[in-house]
Amino acid sequence: MRIRDETMGRRKALGLFSRSGAAVLIWRIVLVAVLVCGIGLLPWLTRTDPALTVLKARSAERDPTPDVLAAIRDELGLDAGPLRLLGQWLGGLLHGDAGRSWISGAEVLPSVLQALGASLSLMAAALAVAGVTAGVLCARTLLLGSGGRLAGRRPGGSGAALLAALPEFLIASVLATVVGVQLGWLPALGWYGPQWMLLPALSLGLPAGAVLGRMLDDLLPGAFAEPWALAAAARGLPGRSIARQALRRCVPGLLPNLGLFVVGLTGGAVAVEQIFDIPGLGRATLQAAVAQDLPVLQAGTLALLLLAATTAGLARLAARLLIGPALRDGALHSLHRPSPPGRRVQPLLYGAALLAVIALGLPRDPLALDTTARLQPPSATHPFGTDALGRDVLARIAHGALDTLTLAVAISAAALLTGVLLGCLPRFSGPLVDTVNAVPPVLAALLVTAVTGSGSATPALAVAAVAWAPLAAHTSALLQQERATTHLLATRGLGARPPHLLRYELLPAVLPPVTRHALLRLPGTALALAALGFLGLGAQPPSPEWGLLLAENQPYAERAPWAVLAPAAVLALLGALAVTAADGVRWPRRHRRTRPARERRPDIGPPGHDPLPERKASEPAQRHVGATPQPRQEAATVRESSP
Amino acid sequence: MRSVRHRLLAGLLLSPLLSGCFASGGDASSADADADAGSADGSRLRVALAFPPAEGFSPYGADATLLSRLGVTEGLTRLDANGSAAPALAESWKRENDRSWLFTVREATFQDGTDVTPSSVAASLAHATRAKPVPAALAGVTLTAKAAGDRQVRVTTAEPDPVLPLRLSSPSLAVLSAKAYETKGTTSPVGTATGPFELTEVNGTTAATLDRFDDYWGGRAQAAGIDAKFIADGTARTNALRTGEADIAEAVPVSQAASLDEGIGRETATTRTTSLLLNTASGPFADARLRAAAREAIDTSALAKGVYEGHADPGEGIFGPALTWADGKRVTPSGRARATEPRGTSITLATYDNRPELPEAAQVLKQQLEKAGFSVKLEVREYARLESDVLAGKFDAFVSARNTMLDTGDPVSILAGDYTCDGGYNLALLCDKQADQAVARAESVADSAKRQDATMAAEAAILRTDAVVPLVHQRIITGVAADVRGVLLDPYERTLVGTGTRR
Repeated sequence: MRIRDETMGRRKALGLFSRSGAAVLIWRIVLVAVLVCGIGLLPWLTRTDPALTVLKARSAERDPTPDVLAAIRDELGLDAGPLRLLGQWLGGLLHGDAGRSWISGAEVLPSVLQALGASLSLMAAALAVAGVTAGVLCARTLLLGSGGRLAGRRPGGSGAALLAALPEFLIASVLATVVGVQLGWLPALGWYGPQWMLLPALSLGLPAGAVLGRMLDDLLPGAFAEPWALAAAARGLPGRSIARQALRRCVPGLLPNLGLFVVGLTGGAVAVEQIFDIPGLGRATLQAAVAQDLPVLQAGTLALLLLAATTAGLARLAARLLIGPALRDGALHSLHRPSPPGRRVQPLLYGAALLAVIALGLPRDPLALDTTARLQPPSATHPFGTDALGRDVLARIAHGALDTLTLAVAISAAALLTGVLLGCLPRFSGPLVDTVNAVPPVLAALLVTAVTGSGSATPALAVAAVAWAPLAAHTSALLQQERATTHLLATRGLGARPPHLLRYELLPAVLPPVTRHALLRLPGTALALAALGFLGLGAQPPSPEWGLLLAENQPYAERAPWAVLAPAAVLALLGALAVTAADGVRWPRRHRRTRPARERRPDIGPPGHDPLPERKASEPAQRHVGATPQPRQEAATVRESSP
Repeated sequence: MRSVRHRLLAGLLLSPLLSGCFASGGDASSADADADAGSADGSRLRVALAFPPAEGFSPYGADATLLSRLGVTEGLTRLDANGSAAPALAESWKRENDRSWLFTVREATFQDGTDVTPSSVAASLAHATRAKPVPAALAGVTLTAKAAGDRQVRVTTAEPDPVLPLRLSSPSLAVLSAKAYETKGTTSPVGTATGPFELTEVNGTTAATLDRFDDYWGGRAQAAGIDAKFIADGTARTNALRTGEADIAEAVPVSQAASLDEGIGRETATTRTTSLLLNTASGPFADARLRAAAREAIDTSALAKGVYEGHADPGEGIFGPALTWADGKRVTPSGRARATEPRGTSITLATYDNRPELPEAAQVLKQQLEKAGFSVKLEVREYARLESDVLAGKFDAFVSARNTMLDTGDPVSILAGDYTCDGGYNLALLCDKQADQAVARAESVADSAKRQDATMAAEAAILRTDAVVPLVHQRIITGVAADVRGVLLDPYERTLVGTGTRR
């Protein structure tokens, strides 16, 4: 029975693969085409004259007289219209010619490739740092888990959340000033060799590693509670190899997000590139986006899209190598936490601290300037010091809290909803996620503005348009694993239909970690909003919005650290609060009887069917396959849904 | 064991690939070696510049200033400390009639070894007039240059041009050898200019290498060469100086000036004036009495001290202390409108964030104006996305930092462009008969002292309308390492490194 099922499944999988593979490929190409055309039409959609932006990029002092603009329009051939220009560019691309920059007139391809090289090496170094960071954050869980002592453990994660909430530019500023300038241990500037890589890699890798480490730490306890782990421990296998296999079990769930980080760090490390003066792709595309240097922008985005597609492919391949056979055979278990975390005081503490800051600051005036009392250190009159215009930092933080929190929470909620919904349609959303993630944030904002106009909701839309992608990737990765679990097979066998599975099995398993992930990214959302300010989107000074507070005090980070550290600290506090509070969130599992058995196939088949049945992964996968005991939760799940 | 060896091998194979990812031209060891080799004969200067070459060092755009600051290019004339024309490649000149000037070219050599001749000078100027878009110094001017005899060049203009020698000091009218124009469509200053330093290698927009030009007509430079790095971020640029990676850092931001040691940050008054421009065409500030109220509400010394931390002078007029003659000839505006109560008039104040001080200044202004009874809304954007809305009169007030000494080197041209009915860059949308007349009068005067008098009279006529409220005159801070001598701190920001600059 089982064998026949398996061969049928395989045949079906093969067929599905070729058909769906082609569909996904076409969808991916459509997305790339839409994006490149969108960029090509950008100036005409936003009605911002490229001749003007190009002139200002070439020479900020030059007056835009009609003669000058006409000469530039003539030189660039703008009068031919966007479609003609786009056609010429694409035609040239076929011959390996990506055109010439509108600003400098230099060939695009060599400069983009050079920038890509710098960005890729920066990303690789950052990824190494992120790996170490994630490892450190998970070390305790791994240590306890391999010894089988996880049961009574109180989940940590505040440290990771605090670290994840730190803005990259802040870490970069501190490292450049303290390690680079004051101590002089490492070069703080340029990109000339390996020793130049360390500080930028730390600035990028620490927060990224914190996010990844937190997500991994979220999954590990579930892996340690799986039957194979118990069996392996009983068999007397060393804790080290159990820990290794637990990692192997959990990493595939993170791989899509890892892929997103790879692409995001390559194209979006603008702040770090600026502070350390690295000639990377982030700065190049930012400049091109602002100046509407379309050939450079198109080539840069195309390079990032190619990278995204490659990375996504590699992530899928890696996932298949790691747990492929188990995925195919539906022999996984849900990575649920073995026991609900107990009540904890941490979220209360964080919440109280945050509330106290806000309550103390609200009676103060956030807008009262006093240029004679600028950059004052913390004192009794100004507990958090003053900023560059002599305003009370505490007052600004408190008054900015409401705006920042409402908007960031609303955007995060919208991103969570979109992410989960689209994550349920992995074939549709997978390429979309890659594409959206590869688009530099400023370009995304410009494209959103092009579509919606610059209304009051535009900045929120622009951020939300990008923010859902990692959540969708996370959702579909978890769903893929969840669909391959034994209890789901059992439930299906007992006659549950797709809606039931989704409602009572899949979503309850997927939502809590994805929600925690969304909360972990909440501070980042607040920062992303502020980053769009220069396009005239988002909060305008003197509003005390938190992202804006950080941005306007950044130049003074060395002289008046309090003006940056205070808003960064409340953001970190917010992150820690969100994550610890979410730990308490348990998805309610309702007991309900299933309908009688009829159709069993869910309409969305599990992705990543392995067309080659050869078993690359060895022992652990077999252990998965052979795992029959159903301890604790798995058994409970099956029982709950059985008629 | 084998796998370890494999990994080592892979690492070795990968390392050249990896090194391709780094920026070249900054190899610390080779730079040190060069410095040692050159120590007997002057060492190399390391300069951190703020603006990377935007157009591949084309001499017709903003990169021209870069070339002249690094001592690569020269024109026929240059500006002296008083803002008058001084000899450069031209030894002397005389005005033949209204439209024609005769320049005597000095004996000099191009960096490619050929001689500077009147015909090569004329050809260079002809190339500049044909550039698209035309260099700012030549906007609206029809100019022809012809060799006249052995050592002279005759420059004629279609309209009388009393400021032609000033105009020719523009960095975009630099003289280059015939080799510069060989490739069609581009003009290359690499090894084709006449200055004390020769551009030898350009590494995209990150770095450039310059060597001393030994046959410079003004004598050999003391520094063996220049390693220029382009670092757009102000903090990073300052850090380059503080870590000793640079000897000279251009344009240290005000926020970083305090982090430099005593004597490292050198201040120069510049011709850059930050002013508040009021929309005289529409909105509340069409009423001159409200403009007067705004002017009276503003305390410029609070801006100079508070926002610019004392690295600026409170606004005196459209022209600041960098124009050394301006202060002595300043005319007090008379017949200004009398201020009226704003009574909560709501206005929109726009500015741009490309210069970080401007949003701060705008916030201080907001408070000052609100104290006087206005109700102010701020709008801050990136410059290119703001300008067309300002020109269209969408805001009531605009804070802008404007270089009052454009490429023409003639202060009257900024008044004509910014504050007359036909002005091409009239952000205040001012159209005032008296101001127009005063500017036209100044434009027609040829004698330099009288022209200066007429210029200040025109400034007063414009200030009378209250269309512009001068806020501060900025000083530029150049970071110069303690052991560096002879840096040229130029109020017109056209020179930086010269023959006497050394370390």
